[in-house]
Amino acid sequence: MTGFSPLQHEADGLGAGLPPLMVAADRLAASVSLGVHGRRRAGIGENFWQFRRYQNEDAARIDWRQSAKSQHLFVREREWEAAQTVWFWRDGGAGMDFSSGSVSKKARAELLLLGLASLLVRGGERVGFLGGGERPAASRLALIRIAHSLLDGKKRAETMPPNIAITRSATLVWLGDFLEEGAIETMRGLARAGISGHLVRIVDPAEEDFPYHGRARFESVRGSNSALFGRAESVGDAYRARFRAHGEALSDAAMRLGWTCTSHRTDHSPLHALIALHAAIGMV
Amino acid sequence: MPRSAWSDLPSLFSQLSFGAPWIAAGLAVLPVLWWLLKVTPPQPRRIAFPPLRLLLGLRNEEQTPAHTPWWLLLLRLLAAALLITALADPLLGRAPQVAGDGPLVLVIDNGWTAARGWEERQGVIADLLRSAGTRAVAIVPTATDAPVTLLDAGAAGRQARELAPMPWPGARMAAAAGLARARFGVPPQIFWLSDGMDDGSALKFQAALARIGSVRIFAPQIGALGLLPPVRDGTGFQLTAIRAAGSGAQEAIAAAIGRNGETLGDAPVTFKPGETRGHGHVALPLEIRNQTARLEIRGQDSAGAVQLLDSGGVERRAGIVSAATAENEQPLLSDVYYLERALAPFAEAQEGTISGLIARHVSVLLLADIGKIGGSDADAVNKFVSNGGVLVRFAGPRMTGGTDSLVPVPLRVGGRYLGSALAWDKPQKLAPFAAASPFNGLVAPDEVTVSQQILAEPSAELSERSWARLSDGTPLVTARQQGQGWIVLFHITASPAWSSLPLSGLYVDMLKRILALSSGTPAGALAQLSSLAPESMLDGFGRTIPAPAELLPIAARDFARTEVSARHPPGLYGAKGVENALNTLTAHDALLPLTLSGQFRYGEVHSLALEPWLLALAAALLCCDGAIALWLRGYLPNLRPAAAALALLLMMRPVHADEAANMQAALDTRLAYVVTGLADVDDMSKAGLTGLGYALRQRTSYEPEAPLGVDLARDDLSFFPLLYWPMDPREKNLSPAVLSKIADYMRLGGTILFDTRDLTLGAVRGDNNPGQQTLRRLTAGLDLPRLEPVPADHVLTKSFYILRDFPGRWDGGQLWIEALPPEAKSGESGPARGGDGVSPVLIGGNDWAAAWAVDAEGRPLTEPVPGGDAQREMALRFGINLVMYALTGNYKTDQVHAPALLERLGHK
Repeated sequence: MTGFSPLQHEADGLGAGLPPLMVAADRLAASVSLGVHGRRRAGIGENFWQFRRYQNEDAARIDWRQSAKSQHLFVREREWEAAQTVWFWRDGGAGMDFSSGSVSKKARAELLLLGLASLLVRGGERVGFLGGGERPAASRLALIRIAHSLLDGKKRAETMPPNIAITRSATLVWLGDFLEEGAIETMRGLARAGISGHLVRIVDPAEEDFPYHGRARFESVRGSNSALFGRAESVGDAYRARFRAHGEALSDAAMRLGWTCTSHRTDHSPLHALIALHAAIGMV
Repeated sequence: MPRSAWSDLPSLFSQLSFGAPWIAAGLAVLPVLWWLLKVTPPQPRRIAFPPLRLLLGLRNEEQTPAHTPWWLLLLRLLAAALLITALADPLLGRAPQVAGDGPLVLVIDNGWTAARGWEERQGVIADLLRSAGTRAVAIVPTATDAPVTLLDAGAAGRQARELAPMPWPGARMAAAAGLARARFGVPPQIFWLSDGMDDGSALKFQAALARIGSVRIFAPQIGALGLLPPVRDGTGFQLTAIRAAGSGAQEAIAAAIGRNGETLGDAPVTFKPGETRGHGHVALPLEIRNQTARLEIRGQDSAGAVQLLDSGGVERRAGIVSAATAENEQPLLSDVYYLERALAPFAEAQEGTISGLIARHVSVLLLADIGKIGGSDADAVNKFVSNGGVLVRFAGPRMTGGTDSLVPVPLRVGGRYLGSALAWDKPQKLAPFAAASPFNGLVAPDEVTVSQQILAEPSAELSERSWARLSDGTPLVTARQQGQGWIVLFHITASPAWSSLPLSGLYVDMLKRILALSSGTPAGALAQLSSLAPESMLDGFGRTIPAPAELLPIAARDFARTEVSARHPPGLYGAKGVENALNTLTAHDALLPLTLSGQFRYGEVHSLALEPWLLALAAALLCCDGAIALWLRGYLPNLRPAAAALALLLMMRPVHADEAANMQAALDTRLAYVVTGLADVDDMSKAGLTGLGYALRQRTSYEPEAPLGVDLARDDLSFFPLLYWPMDPREKNLSPAVLSKIADYMRLGGTILFDTRDLTLGAVRGDNNPGQQTLRRLTAGLDLPRLEPVPADHVLTKSFYILRDFPGRWDGGQLWIEALPPEAKSGESGPARGGDGVSPVLIGGNDWAAAWAVDAEGRPLTEPVPGGDAQREMALRFGINLVMYALTGNYKTDQVHAPALLERLGHK
């Protein structure tokens, strides 16, 4: 009992915040799958693809049962079964905790991440969290592992995805605000490794609209840097232009690498973002 | 402040002078301040902003200081200007000038007539001392006996500030004699600050002063009023007030004040033009008149405008003795409750034992359902009645079994039942009162009926001793005179158990008439005192103060002749409860105006120091400025809601907050715990009741909302059927008010579970356990019922689950509950006993809250020892049983009997 108790306690602690997040993500995913139900192509996840005539190959592949029904030999051909592996990463930096309204960017990113993962698992894809330590899997267990990785705040408070070797042709879904320098470089590195990806840029409305006025000192989230303005409203236009340009630069860079980039404001419904994201991944 | 100053601005400035004019040069720095304020920007708001990188390097062309509003600058400059001006010590008005260089003598009238306008007098004294500069000053009060000494200005100022009006008249000639004995090198300049009254010696006094030095006389514009001793008449007090000058009509308000300073009634006192005596009448009902402690003229604030009244002798005290024991008494069924309520308007009602009450000199003794007065009490009551006391007895169940000789008429054993299931008669109404009855004139309402009474043996005197009868002629109230007193018997109970009379206004009127029979507090108590010690005094302003220890008592035989003086100041003399009043004014006093040539008015010479006013104004402006600065910086996000909230908070806070809490408590039946003020204990209580609430929701039809913490001192307890109260040695003792609140709560049906948490607090159970010691300390003043360990057949063991013991976090330990009435000997014993109602208290030490406690996710917080989860389950079952018991009471007792009853019906 004594040896087991701390472990169980830890597990309980980890699980404490889990149900709400999982439930929210499942609910979100459920409402999406209604909308995209028709998109599920017949045959996904099943072994059988078609019968074709035997063409001088390994005789072991002949399907005798089918061949016995007619004069010809048939080979049972299976569907190309390599399920897609989708890795997830979300920016866990302090800037992501910012919220001008009720939802922080990090909370929204995690909700989208788990919702998307839930959808993908239902579609038979393998999912995993980058740096989570476990192999990607196509089961509900994988979702729980991802959720644990998200909640394990200390280890996952990094901004950039860890430099871990992942299989070529895997897909990375990267959620974050991409406000730190070096995001584009990291993306290039990943693309060079043959990874295709989707950037989901989470934007707080205050970051986009800049509703500040009066004398104000803007501080970076770590408090190391600051900018003082006598009248904040006077720099609003310039800032908004810069912010727009920053977003465009990011999506340009992504497009050039064959990645996609979508933007999501936290005051918008997460459902739309999830549908768009799912559609984008389905197209790859 | 001179009123003309404000209407005439140029003269205002001509009257302005500065004590330290060089400081006003500081006003020259104001332009510098203007420049500083313009260039110093306010502190910016701080905003954490993740995309800061994008903001860096943006041009910041406009600066906020340019936008400091002009009115804010003006405000700050004004505050600075006020500050500087205030420091320059400005004075408004012209202080009296002291001419010559001889010493200054201030002769100050400080008898009671000087109390009115004393503040103004102090201002003039301060002005005079200021203008005296370095001269020697002597202060000579006329009502205080002190040697005349020459002082420097500082010491004179201190002495002047300590000077207060005295409650007795001044003795001017004595003061003049003292002044004449003093030696002055140079003839002094004398200022006589008079009270505007002539005590008959004013001319002589003026001449005496003129022999010593040059004299200037000051007198107030309006003289003081005095109040002469009141005359009682049938409807209240006739008041006579006196004044000095007989000019013009004048009106003042006189008020009757009770013992605790409450105003009982007031009336105008009117002076006709040319008359020095004014008359008024304060009308008060008899019972309120008796509570009057003093009469005074409003707004005079002097001892002469106050008349103290003798206390004692008028008030009738009633003593109530009840046979019922205090515990388990439900107020609405108790005799004492109705008697106290009926007597409260006319008499001071006390409860106690017969001998105790007689010793306290009650004039009426009311015995509710005392069958036989035993032993020495009987002798004491006999003597009490013979000496003029009134004994009022009420029938009741105990009296039906026979009584003693202290009744007006012989009584039959057993009662008479009217209108019950086994009686033929209907409940009887009251017959009209006979002319010989003291109740004659009272109207018996139709709705008053009597359903049970005790009967008198027929006898010759019966009819003349009957004060009230039923409509069929049977006596309802009988009385007999014995010695100087009376014995009165109500043949019904004092509570509405036997009749509806105690619920009617007639009951109150009847008791009032009976009270009037008594002689009141024996005046002999006062006569026994050979000397009257001072009890409380009046000061010069007419306020009541405790008597100083050095005052001598007055011999009782001299009291009527005693005149008010420094030796015998006005006040109350005697012993506690029986006090005679010594007043400043007697019925023959009169006031004469001071009519000397060359009198000055105080208002003409008084100057006003503006410094404190200016400083206060500057401080207010700076506060304003601070609030505005906060607002400009954005710390007050929106001024209007904040201001509205502040206003709301100021106006509504006590009512609103209480109401919200009460509504929360009242709209749902909630579990509640006592807030001990110790965070860990309270958190555990809350978590425990939350866990118990979950279990109740899952398993029973009672679905409690979130538990509430109850502050015993502040919150209304009546909403909660059950309170959980954990003990902790750190808990503070309870105030008497809180104790009585808890006693009320328990008496009116509430249940408290005391948890001594034995093993949580200490190593072993028992008397030395800290939890049990705390319980004893906290509830020492509480009247707890007799307790017993919960018996096996108690309804608590069966109200939801069937339980044998009551574990919590710990197992074992005893749970105590109010002792049940002994089991009925006859008949088969049922499966459960519950007694009547719910036990007001349960005491145990198993730390139940800890066993029930869950965290926000519903996981248990502690590990019950030794039984683990099984024990937690049993603890929850106990909790559910307890809540069911508290909510349903003995209903559950009947429920467990139901199968037996049904079975019995089936057999028949």
